[in-house]
Amino acid sequence: MATVIGQGIIIEGEVTSDEAVVVAGTVRGKLTVDGPLTIEAGGVVEADVGATSLSLGGTVTGNVTASDRVDLLAGSRLVGDVRAGRVTIADGAVFKGSVDMDV
Amino acid sequence: MPAKRGSSSSSDANVLGKSLRVRGRLTGEGDLRVEGEIEGEIQVSGALELVDGGSVSGNIAAKTVVIEGSLTGDVAAEGAVLIRAGARVTGNMNGAEVALEEGAAFTGRIEAEFELPDGLAAGGGGPRGRRR
Repeated sequence: MATVIGQGIIIEGEVTSDEAVVVAGTVRGKLTVDGPLTIEAGGVVEADVGATSLSLGGTVTGNVTASDRVDLLAGSRLVGDVRAGRVTIADGAVFKGSVDMDV
Repeated sequence: MPAKRGSSSSSDANVLGKSLRVRGRLTGEGDLRVEGEIEGEIQVSGALELVDGGSVSGNIAAKTVVIEGSLTGDVAAEGAVLIRAGARVTGNMNGAEVALEEGAAFTGRIEAEFELPDGLAAGGGGPRGRRR
């Protein structure tokens, strides 16, 4: 079973995983996922994020590095730099930072 | 998004999967199922389940606690603490009720201070340990 960090959960520290992670709660510190990372609407990550891919519906404060792609969905909020091969920013996403598409 | 809060602990519950490692503090509302490795303190308002293969080094506070994996740390539960066969536990257990199954490896103290209502006393409950 993959990891679900649910709504009421707060993790302060370093989180690493080798498989898919879904965050609907709060993570502060560092988040490294060797797999797809989904941050749902309502999810809050105050950390540098590394993942294969990031699908963001919630809020991230920190730099994001993805080996594949980053999708900022409508309603999401990202303050930090993005480094990924492919990046999409949906209409309605809030983003402050720079994008490095690593070409 | 439907956030159902029921007795079914599988569908909507918090799961920390097999390959997940946490170093730090984990607090929260609801139940938690730990399949991975946690180094640090855990505090949840609901039931905590540490499954076989999961490991925790740190103190745990929860409503109820079921341990099948390995734990190094103290447990403080409002309700029952169940240490299942195959579990490896080092620490002090503190709960309203503490059960230790045969086949579990346990080092520590068990403190189960509780008062049963007269009518319920000496019911046919499960194994219940009290040691020093």
